[in-house]
Amino acid sequence: MNAITPTPGGQVGRSIPRLEATSKVTGRVEYVHNLRLPGMLSVKLVRSTVAHGRIKSIDVEEALKVPGVHRIVTSEDVLKVIPVPYYGPAFHDQPILAIGKVHFVGEPVAAVLASDPHVAEQAARLVVVDYEELPAVFDEVEALKSKTVVHEQLKPAGTFPDLKHLHGVRDTNLALDFQLVHGDPAKAFAEADHVFEHTFRTQQVLHVPLEPYVSVAETDGNTMTIHTASQSPSFVRLEIARLLGWVENRVRVRVPFLGGGFGGKLYIKLEALVAALSLITMRPVKLALTMEEQFYTLTKHASTFRIKSAVSKDGRVTGRECEVWWNGGAYADIGPRITQKSGFTAPGPYDIENVKIDSYALYTNLPPAGALRGFGIPQLVWAYESHTDLIARELKIDPVAFRRKNLLRDGREQATGTVVRDMGADACLERAAELMNWDAPFDRGSGTIKRGRAIAVGFKASISPTTSVAVVNVAADGSCTLFCGTVDMGQGSDTAMAQLVAEVLNIPAETVRVVHSDTDVTPYDMATLGSRSTFHMGHAVRLAAEDARAKLAALATEVGVAPGSNVPIRELFVRKYKMQAGTIVGTGSYIPDYTSPHQGTGQSANVTPFWMVGATGIELEVDTETGHVKITKMINVADVGRAINPKIVESQLSGAAIMQLGFTTTEKMEFEGGQCTNASFADYKIPGFADLPPTMTNVVVDANQHNGPFGAKGVGESGTFGVSPAYANAIEDAVGVRITTLPITPEKVYRAMCAARNEPLED
Amino acid sequence: MIPFEMLEPKSLRDATALLDADDPTIRPLGGGTALMLMMKAGVFQPSRLVSLRSVEPRYSTITVNSDGSFNIGALAPLASLEHSADIHKHLPVITRTMQVLSNVRVRNVATIGGCLAHGDPHMDLPPVLISLGAKVRVIGPDSERTIPVADLLTGYYETQLAKNELIAELIIPPQNGKRSVYLKCTTRAAHDWPALGVAVSVAGNRDGLSEAHVVISAATERAQRVEQASALLVGPPANDKLFKDAGEAAASAVELIGDSQGSVPYKRQLVRVFVERALRQAIDGGITQ
Repeated sequence: MNAITPTPGGQVGRSIPRLEATSKVTGRVEYVHNLRLPGMLSVKLVRSTVAHGRIKSIDVEEALKVPGVHRIVTSEDVLKVIPVPYYGPAFHDQPILAIGKVHFVGEPVAAVLASDPHVAEQAARLVVVDYEELPAVFDEVEALKSKTVVHEQLKPAGTFPDLKHLHGVRDTNLALDFQLVHGDPAKAFAEADHVFEHTFRTQQVLHVPLEPYVSVAETDGNTMTIHTASQSPSFVRLEIARLLGWVENRVRVRVPFLGGGFGGKLYIKLEALVAALSLITMRPVKLALTMEEQFYTLTKHASTFRIKSAVSKDGRVTGRECEVWWNGGAYADIGPRITQKSGFTAPGPYDIENVKIDSYALYTNLPPAGALRGFGIPQLVWAYESHTDLIARELKIDPVAFRRKNLLRDGREQATGTVVRDMGADACLERAAELMNWDAPFDRGSGTIKRGRAIAVGFKASISPTTSVAVVNVAADGSCTLFCGTVDMGQGSDTAMAQLVAEVLNIPAETVRVVHSDTDVTPYDMATLGSRSTFHMGHAVRLAAEDARAKLAALATEVGVAPGSNVPIRELFVRKYKMQAGTIVGTGSYIPDYTSPHQGTGQSANVTPFWMVGATGIELEVDTETGHVKITKMINVADVGRAINPKIVESQLSGAAIMQLGFTTTEKMEFEGGQCTNASFADYKIPGFADLPPTMTNVVVDANQHNGPFGAKGVGESGTFGVSPAYANAIEDAVGVRITTLPITPEKVYRAMCAARNEPLED
Repeated sequence: MIPFEMLEPKSLRDATALLDADDPTIRPLGGGTALMLMMKAGVFQPSRLVSLRSVEPRYSTITVNSDGSFNIGALAPLASLEHSADIHKHLPVITRTMQVLSNVRVRNVATIGGCLAHGDPHMDLPPVLISLGAKVRVIGPDSERTIPVADLLTGYYETQLAKNELIAELIIPPQNGKRSVYLKCTTRAAHDWPALGVAVSVAGNRDGLSEAHVVISAATERAQRVEQASALLVGPPANDKLFKDAGEAAASAVELIGDSQGSVPYKRQLVRVFVERALRQAIDGGITQ
């Protein structure tokens, strides 16, 4: 390592293998699931069997007789250690254990503790809960007007200014009504040559990380340590401290590696419960959910999106009206943020002067919904890109040409009024068209196989404003350690962050050690979500490394080394301390500029620090006798700014696209009276290798994010955006039928084809 | 977990004696791929499991006889059939079916006897074995009988077996040049249980078939022969029209179950299409056995 010359080391842009790859494949990586503490109790939850009801009684007598049961805890016990046991990032609406009422099937009602998890499981089956059932509401559109309300009174957390007006509001399921008006939409529709209106729906789906939710808490009554598979350790610390009425430094949150997160492991999931249980029992307590229990924890919002466009004779979209209902389930989680932060992109990456958006976060009696790889964006792109293709077809304009004509380009105002910069929607569309050979003749298939193709483009704003802080330590031998709270859940953030440190300090990235989240040691980070880490934590890490570099330069000057000299770092320390001793500590903190949207019009001069774009092109075959669809070619293109690690970027794009393909074709939580009827992976099918397209190309466009760390921005979600509408659009291209609800099953396609030839298949 | 008794007898006959015709909480344990899931889900709580892992090794062997017939021990893991050169030579439809049957971890431990005794209509092998005319030899504490696989399966997860009877071996008769195909149709992920399984086995050529067996599974309460389709196929020129008619006949003959994999009318269409396709493949590309 060279002390003084800060020449870039060429570390950014290297496709180095992940730093943890060897230890992962040899089984040496730490996961919370493997943690066992002396005296630890295991928990099994007793869950609600009704969608909405009053708890009349909880009978634990038989359960307590099971040999080995330590204790059975209900909300009565929780209230003794945490007087106000409600948590949540947007609303303080979710109780640690149900208090008086249950709001969805699967809600935790009681916790059985035993040294042996099998004993706890057996006893949990013997707890008898008696409910007085109440009317329930499940559909998001119905929930807006329903007399049945999930919560008597709204309890916004107070963190977000645009939720404050909802404080104490009664008798509503509406947890946020985000509105945006840009230009004069009424006039645009009055003057339009064509008006198109469609409604699209999406279904509840699951994150399905291979590592289910798991948390362990231990306390001495004065301090609390929580080992947890969480994407947001800093938030867990804040929220646990708030619930306990403690100062933050009495709570320590440790997060090793995660076996996947995808937005499920954000905010509080099991942490408040294990914290309460450890205080009640004064023993370490572990709660590890089964794969199946994930169905009762967090889902992706089902949604209904009514979209209406005013279009001129020559194919310009002049106005757009968007009405989106988000099915938030029984607790708000981060839903109201999705309603707003994603809601304002509902018109799509198009240059539309007159826009009106109404986006509603709704409570229903279903399992809570939250963030899932895209933060609401895939639901929106599904609708607006299906709608866009329908318009193009109706007007007999080539779908790519139609998009080209209307695309939102740099320098123009997005619906919020923010002037876009470095958005790359045009670059992604053009690259996708090129990779699809869009202008070449296309084989339409023959016999019972018909072929079709399509492209869809989506975009997302980074959630703002959020903060990241990082620390870079340089030891006396010149070795370097990074302390940052970004959680590596498989996305490769450790490696990318190490590359940023290495770039600044001109050392090989492989030599940088990354210390995982431990809130006693690692500084604050808002969370690992929304493709924010490369940009926000990336800046904090860069700043921390630059700070360390400046301090090294100062040390060199202090010990009389001339600028530009190649004296090794360890020599600088020895000259100052007369032995291998001392530490250089570099710190960095980052929060981007941001202007909050105006309440009512949604307008803001600076609504996001960067935009993400993803485009997908699909060629497919439809079996006209069965409705089976086979993708023959898939391409995913994204604008990620400059790729810090191109290989990891590529796998992020393919992983995201495959995940969204599952949400498009097979995955759906089925409900009957609020009960999920396919809560197992025998009946809820995620894609396997045999379901993947035979060829899949994942590329980034040549780009530079002007305000990003070394020109970079986020990538984790971009691959999801275009998948669902590209699939539906290609099906219409092949067989002329339009599917407007997800997932697109073979039966749905076959039924639509029967209906189109006026021979509807009976139900 | 509630404790239970686990026994490991040294002979299959001893194993039957440890079972109880009247006690459903006592069950034999073969590969355990189905039983373990039931226990994990809390659907089944045993009082006693009788493991068959230590019974005589002859119940795990695959024997091909000079006439091309097979005797396969009930405890032979599916993977041993998958990798058997004899099976590949004489019964290639089985080798091919293994490629779509669950996954390598299951095939390594699941046994041929277990997959028949479980009576699950979604299994891939039972329809194939019915189309091949296979039988099972079954023993009880003091009994022994041979049952065609077609008759073994009596309903949804129901078989003719008494609770103290065990399948000892599978007997597959010589195929004498018949051609067979199994088509697995899934409607969700590719690795899913079939929404429909169709096995056909035919003797003859495009001029006419002398023998035809059409078997449907998964969409029905048990794997079953469709006599209406099979009968119609024997005799006339075996052209696409005949196959289409056979598909139509099968679709109107079988009683289908609608579920999350597809409604009854949709599954009827699948039967129509897949029977026709299976027959076409058997005649044109099917493997001679």
